[in-house]
Amino acid sequence: MAGNKGRGRAAYTFNIEAVGFGKGEKLPDVVLKPPPLFPDTDYKPVPLKTGESEDYMLALKQELRETMKRKPYFIEKTEEKPDIERYSKKYMQVYKEEWIPDWRRLPREMMPRKKCRKDPKSKKAKGTDKVSSLINTADVLKKIEELEKRGDGEKSDEENEEKEGSKEKSKEGDDDNDDDDAEQEDYDEEEQEEENDYINSYFEDGDDFGADSDDNMDEATY
Amino acid sequence: MTQAEIKLCSLLLQEHFGEIVEKIGVHLIRTGSQPLRAIVHDTGTSLDQVKKALCVLIQHNLVIYQVHKRGVVEYEAQCSRVLRMLRYPRYIYTTKALYGDTGELIVEELLLNGKMTMSAVVKKVADRLTETVEDGKTMDYAEVSNTFVQLADTRFIQRCPMVHAPEDSDTGPPPPAPSLVINEKDMYLVPKLSLIGKGKRRRSSDEDAAGEPKAKRPKRPADNKEIFRSLPVGYNISKQVLDQYLTLLADDPLEFVGKSGDSGGGMFVINFYKALASLATATLESVIQERFGSRCARIFRLVLQKKHLEQKQVEDFAMIPAKEAKDMLYKMLSENFISLQEIPKTPDHAPSRTFYLYTVNILSAARMLLHRCYKSVTNLIERRQFETKENKRLLEKSQRVEAIIASVQATGAEEAQLQEIEEMITAPERQQLETLKRNVNKLDASEIQVDETIFLLESYIESTMKRQ
Repeated sequence: MAGNKGRGRAAYTFNIEAVGFGKGEKLPDVVLKPPPLFPDTDYKPVPLKTGESEDYMLALKQELRETMKRKPYFIEKTEEKPDIERYSKKYMQVYKEEWIPDWRRLPREMMPRKKCRKDPKSKKAKGTDKVSSLINTADVLKKIEELEKRGDGEKSDEENEEKEGSKEKSKEGDDDNDDDDAEQEDYDEEEQEEENDYINSYFEDGDDFGADSDDNMDEATY
Repeated sequence: MTQAEIKLCSLLLQEHFGEIVEKIGVHLIRTGSQPLRAIVHDTGTSLDQVKKALCVLIQHNLVIYQVHKRGVVEYEAQCSRVLRMLRYPRYIYTTKALYGDTGELIVEELLLNGKMTMSAVVKKVADRLTETVEDGKTMDYAEVSNTFVQLADTRFIQRCPMVHAPEDSDTGPPPPAPSLVINEKDMYLVPKLSLIGKGKRRRSSDEDAAGEPKAKRPKRPADNKEIFRSLPVGYNISKQVLDQYLTLLADDPLEFVGKSGDSGGGMFVINFYKALASLATATLESVIQERFGSRCARIFRLVLQKKHLEQKQVEDFAMIPAKEAKDMLYKMLSENFISLQEIPKTPDHAPSRTFYLYTVNILSAARMLLHRCYKSVTNLIERRQFETKENKRLLEKSQRVEAIIASVQATGAEEAQLQEIEEMITAPERQQLETLKRNVNKLDASEIQVDETIFLLESYIESTMKRQ
């Protein structure tokens, strides 16, 4: 193909006339930009189908959309407070029916925790949390060291379960602390309760544990 | 899952279940199956809300869960199910056409609620129907449950998988998630329930039904006697005429009805694949016709018919001036309706010594068109939301005024007073509202009609994939 690129020859490897350009005709410019967002169309779109069934389906669609919004399945974002309280707002309020999922058909972890905790976001509770998690990690590390000594990769699963057990225990310890706190500060508001989900600490805990143990475990297995 | 499909799923989830469910759902669609912990962590949503959203998605059969080793439950989104939400109005309409108002309401309730027990459906539908009939009359539960059974018989609705209870429950802790068992035999069987009366109702067993209309029947050839016997009474077609019709249908080049054997006076089958392929091809042809004009459509049909053609042959056969024919051919090539096959004469693939054959790959063209349809619906929904958002204040105002009128009317106000309230919306505002309504209606109707094409193309692609 290099031969074609000699002086005085066309830069194309094929006959340009084959794609519809006459001899000496100017080639179109190279397009360097994306096509327009709303290109001109040569043909107008066909009008939509109309008729009784189309109208009915349209009504069904719009009704369905509105009904869905009133169903308990429609989870709204926590609303920001309106600037002015409108008198007419009370006419427009929608009351959503309650929905109790069939828990038998759902994984257990979907169940909301029954025990309503009121663990305030006091520094104390956080502190104990941190400490216990540290202890927990220390425990884990110790266990892994033991594991390494034994050099038994097979048993790691079992160990892991044990560890999880110990974690559960320490979590229960936390709970006790929290309960004590809750007794002291029973008046705490619900909002705070939501903010300060005990699970957060649980996850932190888990993450630490996961990061540490994973590395070590790998070493143990290989 | 292409980006266009994900975007469409996101809009559909948001419109039907709100932003939180949308966030979780889209996350699952993008990432595949995930455990609860990972979802909470990656979406930065509170655990409570993630749980709620997952419950909603599972309830509506949009997410399934599976227990993995070590008892971790993983959640997986069913994207194709999410896209089906676009078709809900058509499902409801079809049931209305076939089974009347009762059928319509049954399917509507199931689609709105995802899963329901039969007793709950029957009660709700009977209540809703009672509201519409004249005073004093009521709807009987038995009638509603009859229609319910019919819908299950014709596979418009199906039973949810049963919760499989472990037999020896005292060994070890309970499993992290129930195991659901589908029994193919029972899927369309409705248990005998005594649903009598209007007010009293016995709590039924935990039979659930999921609304997902399906039209699948075992394919099976039928001989002409059988067909004759099952003809509706009012048709007045003699055996002889029927035979003629069947032969004609079997000889038709489209091959919707095929002859699978000669025993018993001829065995006939319906070839769904052929029917769907013809419909998909016709759709492609009409899209070309409407987008590029009838002369392009002529070239397209020509290539379709002759399978492989060289450029010169296209120009000659189509009887269109060479220059224009080239232009049209390249336009369709660049839009991927027509594809190009190179056949080199020599191993160096030199263009001058290569055959260039133009051909139509119906399957890939159908896929491309389907993808465009998803994009179109996405655009339509976005436009509709934009229109509504632009006029939010006005819409809210008109809703408020309507609410006030309704409440004032209830207290028995005078005509003049009502008119005064009505005038709170000015004439230009009224006009703006009218325009908005017209635009939204048009966009909504377009969504429904694009979905019709989506249904056709999806069915064709699915049936082609099954044959391969």
